[in-house]
Amino acid sequence: MFFYLIRRILYAIPIALAVGFVCFMLVQIAPGDPINAIVPADAPGDVVEQVRRDYGLDKPLPVQFGIWLMKVVQGDLGRSLATGRSVWSDLSSAISNTLLLATVASLLGFVLGCILGGLAGTFRGSFIDRAATSIAVAGVSVPHYWLGMVLVVIFSVQLNWLPAMGAGPGGSADWAWDWEHMKHLILPAVTLAVIPMGIVTRTVRGLVAEIMNQEFVTALRGKGLTRGGIFVHVVKNAAPNALAVMGLQLGYLMGGSILVETVFSWPGTGLLLNNAIFQRDLPVLQGTILVLAMFFVALNLLVDLVQTALDPRIKRA
Amino acid sequence: MSTTSSTPTAAEAELAIQARQAAARSQGYWAGVWKRLRRDPVTIVCALVLLAMFLAIVFAPLIAPHDPYQGSMLRRLRPIGTENHILGTDELGRDMLTRLLHGGRLSWFMGITPVFLAFVIGTTLGVLAGFAGGRVNMAIMRATDVFYAFPSVLLAVAISGALGAGIVNAILALTLVFIPPIIRVAESVTTGVRNLDFVDAARASGAGAFTIVRVHVLGNVLGPIFVYATSLISVCMILASGLSFLGLGTRPPEPEWGLMLNTLRTAIYVQPWVAVLPGACIFVTSICFNLLSDGLRQAMDVKG
Amino acid sequence: MRLRRFLLTACLAALPALVAATAVQAQGTIRIGMTAADIPLTNGQPDQGFEGNRFTGIPLFDSLTMWDLSSADRPSTVIPGLATEWRVDPNDRTRWIFTLRRGVRFHDGSEFNADAVVWNVRKVLDREAPHFDPRQVGVTATRMPTLRRAEKIDDHTVALFTSEPDSLLPINLTNLFMASPAQWQRFRDANPTAEAAWNAFAREPSGTGPFRMARFVPRERVEYVRNDAYWGDKARAERIVLLPIPEANARTAALLSNQVDWIEAPAPDAIPQLRARGMVITSNAQPHVWPWQPCFVGDSPLRDVRVRQALNLAIDREGLRTLLGGMMAVPVGTVPRGHPWFGNPSFQIRHDKAEARRLLAEAGYGPNRPLTLRVQISASGSGQMQPLPMNEFVQQELRQVGVNVEFDVIEWNALFTNWRNGCQHPSARGAHAINVSFAAMDPFFAMVRFWDSKMAPPVSNNWGHFNDPRFDEMIRVARNSFDAAERDAALARLHAAGVDEALFIWIAHDVAPRAMSPRIRGYVQPQSWFVDLRLPYIQ
Repeated sequence: MFFYLIRRILYAIPIALAVGFVCFMLVQIAPGDPINAIVPADAPGDVVEQVRRDYGLDKPLPVQFGIWLMKVVQGDLGRSLATGRSVWSDLSSAISNTLLLATVASLLGFVLGCILGGLAGTFRGSFIDRAATSIAVAGVSVPHYWLGMVLVVIFSVQLNWLPAMGAGPGGSADWAWDWEHMKHLILPAVTLAVIPMGIVTRTVRGLVAEIMNQEFVTALRGKGLTRGGIFVHVVKNAAPNALAVMGLQLGYLMGGSILVETVFSWPGTGLLLNNAIFQRDLPVLQGTILVLAMFFVALNLLVDLVQTALDPRIKRA
Repeated sequence: MSTTSSTPTAAEAELAIQARQAAARSQGYWAGVWKRLRRDPVTIVCALVLLAMFLAIVFAPLIAPHDPYQGSMLRRLRPIGTENHILGTDELGRDMLTRLLHGGRLSWFMGITPVFLAFVIGTTLGVLAGFAGGRVNMAIMRATDVFYAFPSVLLAVAISGALGAGIVNAILALTLVFIPPIIRVAESVTTGVRNLDFVDAARASGAGAFTIVRVHVLGNVLGPIFVYATSLISVCMILASGLSFLGLGTRPPEPEWGLMLNTLRTAIYVQPWVAVLPGACIFVTSICFNLLSDGLRQAMDVKG
Repeated sequence: MRLRRFLLTACLAALPALVAATAVQAQGTIRIGMTAADIPLTNGQPDQGFEGNRFTGIPLFDSLTMWDLSSADRPSTVIPGLATEWRVDPNDRTRWIFTLRRGVRFHDGSEFNADAVVWNVRKVLDREAPHFDPRQVGVTATRMPTLRRAEKIDDHTVALFTSEPDSLLPINLTNLFMASPAQWQRFRDANPTAEAAWNAFAREPSGTGPFRMARFVPRERVEYVRNDAYWGDKARAERIVLLPIPEANARTAALLSNQVDWIEAPAPDAIPQLRARGMVITSNAQPHVWPWQPCFVGDSPLRDVRVRQALNLAIDREGLRTLLGGMMAVPVGTVPRGHPWFGNPSFQIRHDKAEARRLLAEAGYGPNRPLTLRVQISASGSGQMQPLPMNEFVQQELRQVGVNVEFDVIEWNALFTNWRNGCQHPSARGAHAINVSFAAMDPFFAMVRFWDSKMAPPVSNNWGHFNDPRFDEMIRVARNSFDAAERDAALARLHAAGVDEALFIWIAHDVAPRAMSPRIRGYVQPQSWFVDLRLPYIQ
């Protein structure tokens, strides 16, 4: 097991490098000269030449990648074409906002999913099961940006209960866990939570049903073990897989919040990406994708490690 | 949007089992599948809904009451139930029913094409990896791991964002998103089948690698991969319309549900029910494909 | 929230303090939802087009000459700003003398004087200057293409030099904002490069404007407080908060849920709902043109004046107005009838499909030889109004006279860049027309940059490479007319000729719709792209 851990960690390094390469290639596959993708269109000629030298754009591709990688490792993700600010300065605040939103949404999805999935798995074939399963399927099938729009119309515009946009009365910079700020979080978090809810429901339902059918549970039940006892047993056995699903969902939400953030003007990485696409600001696009993908790689690793630690039965070749 | 890869390990394991079961199938297998399907009303209803939609959009030019591009400012944003315009009109006064029927063509096309392309490419690579093993397997699977390191939405947005807007770029991006999960499934199923006795027997009797793949492996792995691929169609449709929603997919005046949803957004205060129609279409299609895929999986998997 | 907490504290501390605080509150904080996707640059030369000048230029900075934005009834004119008077040197018509306003101080306390003017001209025109900022050149130089350099005469007088006689210079100078050299120098001393100093300056800018920046959260919000030491009429609002909300529906929802008090460009379809909820919708004529700009070279069918006129006649602009909920003006040229530059064009822009078909037939197009046009458009963008539905509408209209239109939809910034590349550049992808809306408040912006053959790419926006010596001569005459009436007459001849040649497909004028809470008082919507933020306050 120890060797597995070491190997798993070592294996993440080439993956991270390769992910970096894919992100590097984003600027290369963009139509036109890559130089136009990273300097403003109206930059004077000498500035263009300076950047060309800095990034080694006259050198072969592997060398360019090396130069780019060195810059990235030092925390230099380039400069935004639109604002001239360093990509990292905008990205760092955006990431914490997205992390906040994604964490709340995946917790919400996880809790709801566990409840629905647990009920469905316990009462398989019943009305409850069918209702929970339907909600789960609806959750994974609904275009969530559309759901977000509908929620805004109902709760912000018609009922005037919740704000429609933004991350608080003073912006994200003075975020606090008070009602004034938290009510900005409700609609985007609910919208973003429907997918993990659906997925967790399905997973938990399957896990619970499987465990409940196992002979020893039947045996326990025969011995007159209370519902509570069985519940503890089920939770203990289902937890590692459910946690793994939830961990990955956090990663998916981090990367997948672009549409929801756009609908709610949530100042996170998704809105940053959307603006970058809208303004064709490739350095921002590239930097954001890179950081999100790296986050996902790290999260994958963490989930694997935690899962292995929690459930030693999982055999890893 | 990320149902595809929620639990790759669990799905793979399940599919590997399926493959083993598939290997033991008798001639009565498909009869059994059909029998189980017939007893599953949800799946049948979904299949019928999808069939009806498919026919409607294929024959859209024949059955649509109006021209999808021609509108009139005088009758824009009419409510549902207006005479001559059963589903109302859009922001340019074009008939919604007509636009939805025509729009379905592009939405379905963009939902199915990437999955189909990914199915062909992913199966080829996955079977190759599973059957060849060794270094080939290593190379293909490690490359797959790299793309797995991106959340699917992010990868689609990244690639089409870098390439620029357009249908072709969107399809290209979505295909790239769906190849890795299909490779993984195909590889694990093939590896499962490869080690089975009858393949060994075939090999012993002197059959060439190509024949073995064609006769024994493909026959047994296509089913499970196909089922898996149908579950991707729903994800792909939502992603494709999401790209159009962001302005990265279809271009006006082409009707497409995601783009229609985007352009009708401003009408959500005037005719909310008309404005949500394209979203509802995406929703219904996606939910039907999901349920159909579940039903197929259950029917083809004895474990049910 | 913070203010409310402050009020509570004040209330507990002492009653008089509360009274004072509410008195300030009565003038209030105005929260504005902008259409920009990001806060326009705050370094003194804003990006994001004129929305940038409107919100991060004029409120924070002043220019030598300024627009009079106090009246809704007449077109805005140029008035003295940081310069109290100016004249061209009668012996050398490329030399202008500007007399500066005395006793003006920047927000950081340093004095505004001739050195500051020279410094601000050099920041974009003198590559050797230590504070030269290439990033500010693009948005500045194209708006004052003839300006070359500045020279101090004494502390309160400067001379500005142009490359050729140019009577339009004072108008162009409304785009050159005066940033504080002292503030920049302070940041330069603390930063390794000039670029870093400019970035620091953008976070804590210092101008002479009626507002000072109080808070800057990148991509989210910027907050101004009133400059109580302003040299002119002081602002009435205590505080202004600007939020970038690029999506029209999000802006509408933000206003309806009381997150902002004022939104730019509400979605036309949401206007009835906004009115029903008591919001005030304002609009006014604006020197704005939303055209298709033709390509005049290569195999473009728009080289034929008959085709251009036919397209101008084929569009039912009243129908388009219905589409926009009434929020547009119907154009009859680049400037409206009655404007000093309108002139007497013989070609009347109107809706006449029969005449359009006749002209097309005369040009050789008909059922057997249909005309197909390719137009580059954007899906969104500042000043672009509702580009997709509007272009689709025009497409429908033109189909009725047998013209097929194909759109090449590209990102707004890319479209804007292509506009400077011209229709023969690969970026045009063979387009026969481009749909970039523009400001027409001064002769250079309205006509010269499109119709002067010297303004062909990459110099300025003559995207279609229009080249006609008659027009070049008319422009030269206008530039050399230093008498206002004489200049207007020259410009009217130029405009009439442009309409007769149908040098644009004129489709709409924006009327700059805004929606605001009924609590906002004192607001004036001038006939301009800009707004005087000193006037409104909140009740």
